[in-house]
Amino acid sequence: MRRGPSAGAGAEEPADPELLRRMRLGDEAALEALYLRYGGLIFTLALRIVGDHELAREVLQDTFLRSWDGRETFDPGRGRVAWWLMGIARNRAVDLLRSRPHQARLREQTRLQSGTHAGEPAQPDAADAVVLRRLVIEALERLPIVQRVAIELAYYGGFTQTEISRHLEQPLGTIKSRTREAMERLRQVLRAALIEPTREPGQRRE
Amino acid sequence: MSDEHPVEDLAAYALGSVDAVDNARIEAHVVDCAACAARLRDYEFVVSALPYGLVPVPPPPEAWTTISASAQIQTPRKSRRRSRSRLPAWLRVARWPALAALLALLVIWNVTLERELTRRSPGPAPGPEVEALSRRPGRVIILGGTGAPNASARIFVAVDGGGHLAVSGLPPLQRERTYQLWFVRTGRPAVSAATFRVDSSGRAWVKVEPSVSLDDVRMIMVTEEPASGSPTPTGGDLLIARPWP
Repeated sequence: MRRGPSAGAGAEEPADPELLRRMRLGDEAALEALYLRYGGLIFTLALRIVGDHELAREVLQDTFLRSWDGRETFDPGRGRVAWWLMGIARNRAVDLLRSRPHQARLREQTRLQSGTHAGEPAQPDAADAVVLRRLVIEALERLPIVQRVAIELAYYGGFTQTEISRHLEQPLGTIKSRTREAMERLRQVLRAALIEPTREPGQRRE
Repeated sequence: MSDEHPVEDLAAYALGSVDAVDNARIEAHVVDCAACAARLRDYEFVVSALPYGLVPVPPPPEAWTTISASAQIQTPRKSRRRSRSRLPAWLRVARWPALAALLALLVIWNVTLERELTRRSPGPAPGPEVEALSRRPGRVIILGGTGAPNASARIFVAVDGGGHLAVSGLPPLQRERTYQLWFVRTGRPAVSAATFRVDSSGRAWVKVEPSVSLDDVRMIMVTEEPASGSPTPTGGDLLIARPWP
């Protein structure tokens, strides 16, 4: 199975908005194409957040079923299809995570923080995904550790800024500054390579 | 629009890490502030790139099978809803009396069923609460024996919640075991609706409290579990109903 943003994508492969259009007409093959494109990424994200294969599978299934149910409500003006899917998955995973005791969540995040953004890509066939992975890993590695921790607790841990502040015993303003500085650094590093608003995954780079 | 740009909060908002109280304030601001909207869009793109930095893990193959099967179940339901709106005018007028007649038949059927079970069952007779429940509009679902081929059951779920289960043909259990009724949803844990035991003739009448909508349920089943009940089904399915109109 192919995974990643445009894994194996050729010029003949429909872009995400086209898949959404076909899904609105009831075309389940379009849903499958979207799953082939993003299923691996969504499962990986869910697994990183919930730390359990069975729960991650639930999140994955729920994400694509919700996208099928909500295919007529997706608003392209509010972002890309991939953002939409990742938003559904992340919210669902964090909901599951938040049903666990707070301290268990912190222990889990501490355990998961090491080594999750490292290692060689497992799918060398997905050329775009390999380049993107390398870029993101390098960008994260360049961040000061306190900024990286703030980002990971926020995104993968599902913690609010106030909760992170309490957990790290740092003023709320400090946590907000770390988060903003980290995002600014990532934005600058990734901007040239990634921010191409007119290109949807699934379309070949010129 | 607030004159103060929520500069410190935009990054946290994109990460989904803003306290609930600040969410509305930020959303209201970016509607009217092009600069903050553009910055937020950049941050959202960065956030969407973060998962690409994770070591990829392939999803289990059965995940797509479940998604595909559920999507196929949902599609006809939506089609049915659309087709109703295309009914001719005379049929749209006539459908309400027909629905009322159907509900009346349903109530009569439930009362008859209740009386029949009361007459035949040596177990605890359904009380006034269950009798009242039977007279409410709702849906009846038949469960067929799978692991227990001679067993059958009917479950009635009232439209405003609550319901009851009438079972026959299940073997009586030892003291340390119980039967458990489950509402199984797609991609979520199954929900227990009741635990029960049957009398010496294999029958039971059980009040159930479904905490989920039938629209979210893809299967109802009965399993055998330890006496205290299980958080998730551990025994094989004895009775099953799926999917229903």
